Amino acid sequence: MSNKVVPITIIAGFLGTGKTGLLNHLLAHAEGRRLTALVNDFGALNIDSELIAAQNGNQISLANGCVCCSIGDDLTLALAQVMNQTPRPDHILIEASGVADPARIAGFAQVDRELRLDGIITLVDALAHQRHANDPHLADNYQRQIEAGHFLLLSKTDLASAAQTQSVSQQLAAQKPTTPIAIIEHGVFDAKVLLGLNETGLLPAQAEIKHDLRQWSAHMTAPVPRLDLLNSLSTLAPHLLRAKAVLHDAEGAYVLHYAGGQSSVSPFDASPSGHFVLIGKPDMPDDASLAQLLTPQAPLPAHRQTEARQ
Amino acid sequence: MGEIMSLIFAAKSIITMNPSQARATHMAVRDGHILAVGDASHIAQWRQAWGDMPIDESLSDKILMPGFVEGHTHMMEGLFWNYDYVGYYDREGPDGNVIAGLKSIDDVVARLSQINQQRDDKTQPLIAWGFDPIFFDGRRMNTADLDKVSTDCPVIVLHASLHILNTNSLVIEQAGVTPGDNNEAVRRDENGHPSGEFLGQLGMYMAMRTTGLDLLGAAGSAQTLINFANVARQTGVTTATDLANPVPVEAVQTMRDTVSQDSFPMRLVVAFQGGGADPQAGIARIQELQSQQTDKLRFSLVKFVADGSIQGFSARLKFPGYFNGADNGLWYIEPDRLKSLISAYHAAGIQIHIHTNGDECTDVALDAIEAALRENPWPDHRHTLQHCQMANRAQFKRMAKLGVGVNLFSNHLYYWGDAHINITMGPERAARLDDAGGALAENVPVAIHSDAPVTALAPLFTAWCAVNRVSSKGVKLGGETEKLTVEQALYAITMGAAYSLHMDHEIGSLEVGKRADVAILEADPLQVEAAHLKDIAVYGTILGGKVHVNKRGAK
Repeated sequence: MSNKVVPITIIAGFLGTGKTGLLNHLLAHAEGRRLTALVNDFGALNIDSELIAAQNGNQISLANGCVCCSIGDDLTLALAQVMNQTPRPDHILIEASGVADPARIAGFAQVDRELRLDGIITLVDALAHQRHANDPHLADNYQRQIEAGHFLLLSKTDLASAAQTQSVSQQLAAQKPTTPIAIIEHGVFDAKVLLGLNETGLLPAQAEIKHDLRQWSAHMTAPVPRLDLLNSLSTLAPHLLRAKAVLHDAEGAYVLHYAGGQSSVSPFDASPSGHFVLIGKPDMPDDASLAQLLTPQAPLPAHRQTEARQ
Repeated sequence: MGEIMSLIFAAKSIITMNPSQARATHMAVRDGHILAVGDASHIAQWRQAWGDMPIDESLSDKILMPGFVEGHTHMMEGLFWNYDYVGYYDREGPDGNVIAGLKSIDDVVARLSQINQQRDDKTQPLIAWGFDPIFFDGRRMNTADLDKVSTDCPVIVLHASLHILNTNSLVIEQAGVTPGDNNEAVRRDENGHPSGEFLGQLGMYMAMRTTGLDLLGAAGSAQTLINFANVARQTGVTTATDLANPVPVEAVQTMRDTVSQDSFPMRLVVAFQGGGADPQAGIARIQELQSQQTDKLRFSLVKFVADGSIQGFSARLKFPGYFNGADNGLWYIEPDRLKSLISAYHAAGIQIHIHTNGDECTDVALDAIEAALRENPWPDHRHTLQHCQMANRAQFKRMAKLGVGVNLFSNHLYYWGDAHINITMGPERAARLDDAGGALAENVPVAIHSDAPVTALAPLFTAWCAVNRVSSKGVKLGGETEKLTVEQALYAITMGAAYSLHMDHEIGSLEVGKRADVAILEADPLQVEAAHLKDIAVYGTILGGKVHVNKRGAK
């Protein structure tokens, strides 16, 4: 049981909201990660045959090291089989069925010390939102998926009117004020935001933040007390999508993940790189403000210090 | 086979389930089929033209019935016999040996400790099944109990329902359990620590991860099939179902090779698990499988699971929902997709069985079938709702009009009746849980089932449940309106189930031309008190004319 901990991301959303398109995009833009995607249906993925390295039974191996597995009837079995394999994938994606409760799936990470829940991404169809929210058989299910989401991605906005998109966006924001909401176009969304930064905390050289997202990074050699960092990040929560830091403080080296409004800190058993990367919405404070907020040698503003000590 | 085998069985009495000839004493069998049924003098007339046939007198003190047909079981029943049984009741294993029931949690701990002491490698996981806390007055098993068995290996005890399992503390430590505040699948003690009891898929996942065992995946092996058939046979079953199976290509040969052996004592109907996204692929697969059918192995239907379970709060309920106010359950297939799946399989002429537990789900399934019938009329489709536990009279009326049958989960009355009265449904709806009497009154074809391994596989017990409608705590659910008479219940476990599988022209009654599939009983179910129906001992079965005697019966 000395294997590494595998982050797991659950992609939820009703039938037709674009889960498959997003999965396709993530598999094609894995940026060196070996992703394993547990999907409901290979056929729907429509993977370019040139990218397929091998196929047997319920598994397709891609040339870039990613793997797709069919869930079949039983997610329990499919996930256990992936986790019992060696080597483990770098990251597991689960395509939740259109009517699944993603929070229940997320529970698996609570009984497997080798799984870390990275987040639940819930896709919301901007065009069909009202219909789904009022469906006599599905409304409760729909709300469960939205409630469980750590990221809400609005799809089909190109087909919806601007007013419609804005209205859905406002309703979701009112319902979940601290959850990031972003627009996804044709299944394309930055893998770094959705799956986190790679395990070294470094962005690939060609890293490029698409959409209207902002990125901020720093290299910190000085110790950064983890509690201070958590407090600072919490003040950024409304603007922040992702963060990863591999730093140290008096207790030792640590790695911090922030995704979907939640931070997790765990000990890091190698020399810390000092890398610190944030990805946020366009309204994230400017670089200078971020540097002032997050860099330890800069004195914290008075009111932040008070908060930090609470 | 070579020479055509002919044989006459003489019995104390034969209950034929053939309305034109309800009783007989003799049955002649030729080449696996019934040649004649009647009394000794009647059989003698057949001998004139068909030649002399030996008479088997070994069953002359037995009662013969048509072999029982179990329309909703799972092959997985056979898988668990690879592990140790720790249930409350004595149970006959596939080898015919009886394993004594355990009457307290301490007895379970003692049995497991003994098993652990006697094995060579004490670090291997120890897995047991069949445990059922409903008999232990509210006391739940916890980690302290199983830590007495071992702290050096994972100890996992699966409950009879398969919805719950218990572990020792080593499993919890290895899994690194961190129950979130809202994780209802991790039961906790009064101090907030995991008690060792885990629910549903989450528990099963944890068990598979900490033991490294494929607790569900090995269900297609030959040994599992053989175990399953033997366990079923011992209860008088001659045809059972695996509802459902993805039937991967590699499993078919194993099934064919195993089932076709003379020593394999059962016919097996495998339903194709049809929830996959592409119905055309599923239809093609079933058609291919149907071309490989034999008299003992059928691939005649497709099954969809449309919602969850009532006791797991995952069934879809109509207003007012769950008695305890729990959130409504989960769709396993979204209603629109169910509709298009049913439309496609129906159009292809494939019989459909749909798992619907909650009444909202039953409505959605009936809407879908009605729409499919408008597109493609099919007078004798016999689509069947499986479980369908909460159906009311309006739904039964609709089913009758649509030609839809029902296979009710009568064992639930006993196993979860108390929970349904007090927690899940409340008294009014629990009174008409699995309303077989109501379904018959509305002219819906009825079968009843065990869903083994979820509850015990034993059609006479299932019939007893449908007739007596008593919970494990002795509480009655409903009464005269909802119950079956003994005759109706016996019909449900023979002809009723055969009808639901489109096999009533072949099996389900003992009459000329049908397959010679028989349950051999030690007492006459129409003569004993209804309360003792479940206690009738099964001596063995006859499958296609070949007698299989239970080990207990043989003594």
